[in-house]
Amino acid sequence: MDKSFGYSDGALAAVSSNLAKAAEKQMRATTASEFTGLATYFDKQEAKRSAESLSQLLPLITWDLEQGYTEIERSARDAHDRGALRCMTWGKKVTAIHKSILGRYEKQKDALLESSDLFVCEACGFIAIAKQVPELCPICKAPSSRFVKIA
Amino acid sequence: MHAARNVALCTKDCLCLFVCPSGATDTENGQIDFAKCLDGCRLCVDACPSHAIYLVFDRYPEKPAKHDRVVSALDATTESKVEQERICRTLAEQGGLEAKLAKALALSNRILAEDCTRESGFMLPQAPRVKTMLESLQNREGDAVPRETVDSLLNS
Repeated sequence: MDKSFGYSDGALAAVSSNLAKAAEKQMRATTASEFTGLATYFDKQEAKRSAESLSQLLPLITWDLEQGYTEIERSARDAHDRGALRCMTWGKKVTAIHKSILGRYEKQKDALLESSDLFVCEACGFIAIAKQVPELCPICKAPSSRFVKIA
Repeated sequence: MHAARNVALCTKDCLCLFVCPSGATDTENGQIDFAKCLDGCRLCVDACPSHAIYLVFDRYPEKPAKHDRVVSALDATTESKVEQERICRTLAEQGGLEAKLAKALALSNRILAEDCTRESGFMLPQAPRVKTMLESLQNREGDAVPRETVDSLLNS
């Protein structure tokens, strides 16, 4: 933390990968590949975490739902920032789904995933456990072409 | 402004080839030749029956400034999402179905972190906050940030 700009290297990686996508949409191939290069660099730079189980995510998810997104909502409402409210609306729903998936995985273990695939919406992060790609993202309404199947 | 083709929508009716005055739409790689495309011409955009061609801007408007409190709130959640992404990435290396779920959660958390950064002033590569970030990287000490890339981005 606080190495550059008050951001961790992992956050700088996310900033950079997001800007690479934006540059791609602007048809700026060189800028896109330069930001992808930065994202790759910061991804490698960020320290590895020791992790034993997915349940380690739960306290962070609770913080997101009870404090993180709540503070985004409060501040965005005060500032009439509808873009930040949009981010909060999608993010809070997707995070609640993470929590529900982790709860189901805890109970059912691998049986939850054995006969289904995992699809992630590239627009909002929604995770679907399903046999087929969703026609429409239930959170952000992106079409099926915006889903990636996890290999 | 120049035209660009969304190849996924293009139905190969090729009316853009008929109307293009510079030949920019007729290329071997499916994309319009941006160097040949005439600034703001848009004849191909209007002629395309499948709405597969659109205009790309050379300059983007500056966004309204974000409030400090909104930025701090978004930054805090960005860090939480990144932390979760990192935990998931470690678990994703371990194999089996739990690793597959970890992979999905890592990607999802990255997308959630990216979305927070988009709203905190990093929506466009041209945004002032991007410049501030890149300048701080120029002065970063103690590791090997690809300096040439940072300089090139600041000059583009």
